[in-house]
Amino acid sequence: MAAENVTIFRTVLRIPWHILLVAGVLVTVGALALYSASEGSWTPWAGKHAVRGAVGAAMVLVLAFIDFRILRIWAYPVYLLSIVVLIVLLGIGGGGVARWINIGGFTFQPSEPTKIAVLLALARYFDSQPLDKMRSILTYLPPLVMIIVPFILVVEQPDLGTALALALGSLTLLFVAGLPWRYILVSFIGLVAAVPVLWSQLHPYQKTRVMTFLDPEADKLGAGYQITQSKIALGSGGLFGKGFLMGSQSQLNYLPEKQTDFVFTMIGEEFGLVGNLFILGLYLLLIGSVLGISYRVGSRFAQLTCIGVAMMLFLYVFVNVAMVTGLLPVVGAPLPLISYGGTAMLTVFLGLGVVASAVVHDRPAVE
Amino acid sequence: MSKKVKQKENRRVTGRRTFLLGSGMLLATSFLSGRLYQLQVAQNNRYKRLSDRNQFDWRVVPPRRGRLVDRQERLLAGNAESYLLHITPLYAGDVDKSLAQLASLIELNDEVIGRVREQARKGPSFRPILIRESLTQRELSTLAVRSAYLPGVTFEKSLRRIYPQGALTGHVTGYVSPLTSREIEENSSLGDLPDLATGKIGIEYALEPELRGTPGGERVEVNARGRPIRVFRDFEPEPGGDVKLALDIGLQQHVTEILRRGQSEPVDMATAEVQRAIAGNRDLKLHLASGENMLLRDSIGNITPPESGAVVVMDIRNGEILSMVSSPTYDPNVFTDRLLTRDWRRLNEHPRNPLLNRVTAGLYAPGSTFKMVVALAALEAGIINERTSFSCKGSMELGNATFHCWLEDGHGTVNVVRALERSCDVFFYEVALKTGIQRIKAMANKLGLGDVTGIDIPGEKQGIIPHHEWKLATHGVVWTPGETVVASIGQGYVLVTPLQLAVMTARLASGTKAVTPSLQTVDGVPEFAELDISPAALRIVHKGMFEVTNGSLGTARAHNLPSRLGGMAGKTGTVQVKRITKEQREAGITKNIERPWKERDHALFVGYAPIKDPRYAVAVVVEHGGSGSSMAAPIAKAALKRALETEGKA
Repeated sequence: MAAENVTIFRTVLRIPWHILLVAGVLVTVGALALYSASEGSWTPWAGKHAVRGAVGAAMVLVLAFIDFRILRIWAYPVYLLSIVVLIVLLGIGGGGVARWINIGGFTFQPSEPTKIAVLLALARYFDSQPLDKMRSILTYLPPLVMIIVPFILVVEQPDLGTALALALGSLTLLFVAGLPWRYILVSFIGLVAAVPVLWSQLHPYQKTRVMTFLDPEADKLGAGYQITQSKIALGSGGLFGKGFLMGSQSQLNYLPEKQTDFVFTMIGEEFGLVGNLFILGLYLLLIGSVLGISYRVGSRFAQLTCIGVAMMLFLYVFVNVAMVTGLLPVVGAPLPLISYGGTAMLTVFLGLGVVASAVVHDRPAVE
Repeated sequence: MSKKVKQKENRRVTGRRTFLLGSGMLLATSFLSGRLYQLQVAQNNRYKRLSDRNQFDWRVVPPRRGRLVDRQERLLAGNAESYLLHITPLYAGDVDKSLAQLASLIELNDEVIGRVREQARKGPSFRPILIRESLTQRELSTLAVRSAYLPGVTFEKSLRRIYPQGALTGHVTGYVSPLTSREIEENSSLGDLPDLATGKIGIEYALEPELRGTPGGERVEVNARGRPIRVFRDFEPEPGGDVKLALDIGLQQHVTEILRRGQSEPVDMATAEVQRAIAGNRDLKLHLASGENMLLRDSIGNITPPESGAVVVMDIRNGEILSMVSSPTYDPNVFTDRLLTRDWRRLNEHPRNPLLNRVTAGLYAPGSTFKMVVALAALEAGIINERTSFSCKGSMELGNATFHCWLEDGHGTVNVVRALERSCDVFFYEVALKTGIQRIKAMANKLGLGDVTGIDIPGEKQGIIPHHEWKLATHGVVWTPGETVVASIGQGYVLVTPLQLAVMTARLASGTKAVTPSLQTVDGVPEFAELDISPAALRIVHKGMFEVTNGSLGTARAHNLPSRLGGMAGKTGTVQVKRITKEQREAGITKNIERPWKERDHALFVGYAPIKDPRYAVAVVVEHGGSGSSMAAPIAKAALKRALETEGKA
């Protein structure tokens, strides 16, 4: 009993509390933003968001107590399970949009946690490869297949934004695992050449989004409306913003989806550049901490997992901010931990939980 | 290499690349920060402006339109609160669906729905389209309860023009109606006031600048669904000025009634006989369709619509128009809403053109009322004096032509006073031939005939007083003496408006002033131009006009005013519209009343009262009314009587 207590005590001490703290601040910022988005009300978003944040933090703590080696064992089965779920989803959804499933009243987007599953599977794969094979191209072909299968399944849903984030986040693991530079260069050229082919595969609404992104002013009241209004809201915020609950663009409903994809815009309108940079700073802190942990953990599995989680977080933030500032097309990407929406938040907390588990249970790195 | 070394090597590669990755992330974040700086600091002003434009809807506030009142401050045109219903296609999404929903809640006819659809298709989607004006309280509450389910549908309070006297003053007030695209073209600043109603005719048009006032401005904070949140009044609108008209509603009402009734009795519309008459007569049906509520039984028992014509009562001293009646008339209230095609069609199908203001724009041959002009011209030129006589044998020969007097057997030997009293035509034929049309024309112009009077409502007609140059210019041939003969009894080319006849009468009665008419009250005695007609000549004409109502053979001897009111002087006129055909004469149809309405003679009368120190002038035209003495004179008498009796009470 005593030994067990000591173990629990040691575990609690080793939990990366600073990561949880930063995540907690971000969730709080999110709750306040959502409070403002509903014109100063905890319903319908802010209250739920705070509760979900607390549940998420609890989930991280639970994961911290799960032995990391168990995660290693379960990596492949979980990956296979998520692939099956995606296939089943496509079958049910048929020709329509199959992004969501409904579980007991909660709508759930399985393509989000799939990111974690792919991540773990890839980390597991590289962890088990013979050390001297890392410079061979053959080593990198199975991971490519492991990425392409879920990528295509998610594209077919159709959810191009999530699919691209999934692919990009996973490919990062190939990069950090040691994919030789010459292959990186070749694949980059190949990708550029493939753009026209990809374009022809896009759905009309996706094409519209891209075209709108290229010339938002052309269709002010249609699809370009969101980008134009978002830029107006951000730009009119200035250095210090219009003040909490005072964002006229958001409060008067000019800003669409201010509680989800455009929450960063709303914060920018009400708190200005200072508010936005504060949030970007928090994310950098969070991502930096996770990357830092990747240097401290001993196993390759843990190391790659942490890098993957950091990259996933970064992609969320970058795509969202670039989108609301008009640098990327409107692809439907939430701002993690701040945007309202359970699935993305769950995915991020899952990722952080995996990191916590790695910190607590993995052997420390030996120099 | 050993496994350890290999592991270390891999770890180093991954560590290096992780560092690269982290650096890339930092770089990308800096890039995003730069973008944020660009939007939020560098271009802040621009976006602030755009945000303000989003937040605030600049709106011009229409001013309250000035009211029109009669000489005793009774309301002729005012403003009533009304609720306007708008739809903004941008926020409504599916306009057709919204309209269908609205139609199930309030009264919306297909015409309105069609118009709104058309406007929604053509106009910019952010501009609100007016669906309906003057919502009732019941409709308002029905809509208010459901407003959450009607996106883009808004209602707001506004003022609606009302004319409490309705048709009674329709031709005087005229009406306002929504801005036309032509008006906006001419004055682009009106484009900001899509709901403004402007005067289209009558006083409303003539005094538009005075009545309209100055628009104010307000900023309305609107949300993205176009719902107003708050209003900031930046400029208060300045209301238009109220205008007091010289009109006396009591007199107007009385005159309207006696003109419309003529010499007939109104019938009970409910009787089977009248209903049968209506059913068999398209003309009657069209009258009733446009709002007519009175029918008459004429002297031979036929059911007829009310009389048509014009009456003007004018104050001789200052030119104030106390009454101005044009029959048939219309209710100006139908124009203030968007005019329905149905109402418009009915007004247009009306057989007697109710939209024509007969007082200022109805052109009639003055007939024998023109004889004062000829007499004055001849007297002034010294061609005749009071004792100059001519013999009337019932007709006069000129070349090959024979010109008849209205009295077949002739008047015998008459001087100018007797000739006016009995309206002898031959006397004036002879006098006119000697005087010449040029002198007659000059005198007519002096008295205000053949030119616009300058009254303050638009659309006034000039009329025609023919003369040598006019004939040559318009017909390309020279004037003939026969035409002078015809003109001498106010027929042929001569055309004047009832208002001109009233002005002529006022000037004759005044004797010294070239009185001009005014629909607005006049302060003090205006400085009219000198009339410049010899008083001696005027005295003789006055005598003739006195004898018309007072002489034993006067054409209007039956319709003099009682002596307690000072009596009246005047002149009858009966204008042949169509000769009695040979067939009609053989069929025994010689009486006016037996002929088709359109072929009957016009009945005219001009007069003034009291005889000593005249106060009021009157001109009466009853279209196809038969004879001046039996139809027009009693109307003139009744009008003058009421005017004199009210005087001093007001």
